[in-house]
Amino acid sequence: MKKTVAHAFVCLFIFLLYPGTSPLPAQAADKLPQPVLISSAGQSADVAIAGMLCKKLSLQAKSQPLAKPADLQGIGTLMVVSGFSTKGLGAAGVSKEQEMERVKALLDAAREKKIRVITLHIGGKARRGGQSDDFNRLAAEASERLIVVRTGDEDQFFSSLAAGKKIPIDLVDKISDAMQPLGKIF
Amino acid sequence: MPLFPIHRIRALLLLAAAAAACLYAGKEFRKMNAPDTILPGQGVSRIRALKDYFPNLEGTRSDSAVYFLESGRPGPTVLVLGGTHPNEPAGFLAAVALVESLRVKAGRLIVVPQACQSGFTCTDPLEGYPQSYSLRSRSRLRTFRFGSRAANPVEDWPDPIIYRHFPSGQQLSGNETRNLNRAYPGKSDGTTTEKTAFAIMKLIRDEKVNLAFDLHEAAPEIPIINAIVTHEKGRELAAGALLGLELENLPYALELSPPNFHGLSHREWGDGTPAIPFLLETTNPVQGRLRGRTGASLAVDGQDRQYRLAQESGRMRITYDAGGEPLARRVGRHLRAIQAVLETYNELHPEGRVELEGIPSYEEIIRNGVGSLLQ
Repeated sequence: MKKTVAHAFVCLFIFLLYPGTSPLPAQAADKLPQPVLISSAGQSADVAIAGMLCKKLSLQAKSQPLAKPADLQGIGTLMVVSGFSTKGLGAAGVSKEQEMERVKALLDAAREKKIRVITLHIGGKARRGGQSDDFNRLAAEASERLIVVRTGDEDQFFSSLAAGKKIPIDLVDKISDAMQPLGKIF
Repeated sequence: MPLFPIHRIRALLLLAAAAAACLYAGKEFRKMNAPDTILPGQGVSRIRALKDYFPNLEGTRSDSAVYFLESGRPGPTVLVLGGTHPNEPAGFLAAVALVESLRVKAGRLIVVPQACQSGFTCTDPLEGYPQSYSLRSRSRLRTFRFGSRAANPVEDWPDPIIYRHFPSGQQLSGNETRNLNRAYPGKSDGTTTEKTAFAIMKLIRDEKVNLAFDLHEAAPEIPIINAIVTHEKGRELAAGALLGLELENLPYALELSPPNFHGLSHREWGDGTPAIPFLLETTNPVQGRLRGRTGASLAVDGQDRQYRLAQESGRMRITYDAGGEPLARRVGRHLRAIQAVLETYNELHPEGRVELEGIPSYEEIIRNGVGSLLQ
C-alpha cells in the first residue's frame, strides 16, 4: 500500500513538473528581452507611434524603419510595425518589392539569431487590405505575439491567422491601449 | 415682308436672354472679389500683409493679411496657414477662429487665414460648388466665400500643358501651376502662385517660425483624411499628438512627407527653413466624387445621402455616421490637432513653451457650432 501511495506521489510530482503541451509557445509567458529594435513592414509612419508607446513605457528601444539584418546586433526583441504606405515608401526611397525583400531578410536573420519577434498593427482599417496585407501576413506569421488595434481586424484577418498558427494575440480598442499588453510582455 | 418677322423677334429675344444671363453671371463672378470680413479679436497685437515680406505682391489679388498674436513672453513662434485651398473651408475657418477668439499667453502665433487669396475670387468650373456659405456667429450672420482649389485662372492665363516645379523640375499637370501647395519654395520672378509661395517662405524665415501648420481638407473616400502629414523633423511631435488625440476619441493617421514629392508645404518648409511643418487633413464631402447635390448646406452640415450609402456598402475609410461631417467637427478637429502638437512640444521643451487660451474644447465646438468661435 505504502509503495502504491509513493508511486502515486512520484507520478503526481512528475506530472506537476512536466511542462505539458500548451498551445502557446513556451516563450510567450516570459518577459521579452530588451533592447527593442522597432522596424517597419511597409514603411507606414506607425513606427513613430510605436516608438512613442515604448518611450512612454520607458522601454530601451530604438526605431529604424529600414533596419537590416546587421542592425539586429545586440538586440533582444524585434518589434515589427506592419502596414503599407505609399507616402512612406516614397519617403524611404524604396519600392514595394525592395521593402518586401528587406523585411523577409530581417525576419530570417532574427530567426537565425533567435531574436524574439512581435508584430504591432496599429493603423486600423487604413493599413489593411490591398498592399498592406502582404506585409501584415509576412510579419504576423514570423511573430510569437501580435498586438492589433481592433479596427484593423474587423474581418478577423489577424485573429484567424493567429488562431491558425497558434500565436497569442491582443486585440485593443485604441492605439494607446496597446501600452497595456506591451507593458505586460516587456 | 413685315419689318419684324417672327424669326427676327425670336432672335432678338434670344440675344436679350443671353445678354441677361451673361450680365448676371458676370455680376456673380465679380461679387467674388469682395473680401471676406475677418474681425480681429483681443489677442491680435498687429496685422501685416504678405507684401511686407515680398513687395511684388502689393496691389495684387495674392496679397493677404498676416495676423500676429503675441504674448510678450518668450516661447516658440507658431505659424498657422488657412485657405491654401479655398475650397476647403474648415482650414480657413479654423484660422479665422484663431484670429477672432485666441489669446496667446506664452510664445506667439502668426495666422494667415487666406494663404491663397486669389483662389477665393472664383470657384472650380464644372464642380457646382456654392459661391458662399453662411454661419450665425456670436453676434450676427457671417457669410464667407467658398473658393477654388487653386488661384484664379485669370492670374496667369493660360495654364501650361505641363507644370514644371521650380527648382526640382518635377512635372505635374498644367493646372497645378496655380496650386499653392505645389509651388513651394516659390520663385520671386515666377507665376502669381510661385510669388505667393516665395512670400510665405520668406515670412517663415524672417519671423523665425519654429512650428508651422497648413490646414487642409480632402474627399471622404481617399486614404489621407483625418491625418497629420509631417516632415521627418516632426515625426516625434506628430506621434505624441496623435496618441493624445486618440485618447480624446479623435483618431488620426500619421503620414510622412515623401522627400521626392516637391512643392508641398510639409516638404519644402521642412527642407528650406528651420520650421517643423505639419499638414492637417479633415474630411470635406463637397470635394468628394461620390457626393450628391452640392450646395452651401453640404459645406456647412456635411450631410450627404450618397456618402451614407457608400458607408453602408463599406466603401468609406472614415466612419461617416448619421451626423455627417459638419464644419463644427472639422474645424474642431483642426483646432484640437494644433493644440495636441503644441502640448507635445511643451512636454518635450519645457524651457520654451507656447500657451494658448480662448479655444473651446472639441465637445464645446460640436455643441455650440463653429459660429460660437466667431465674433
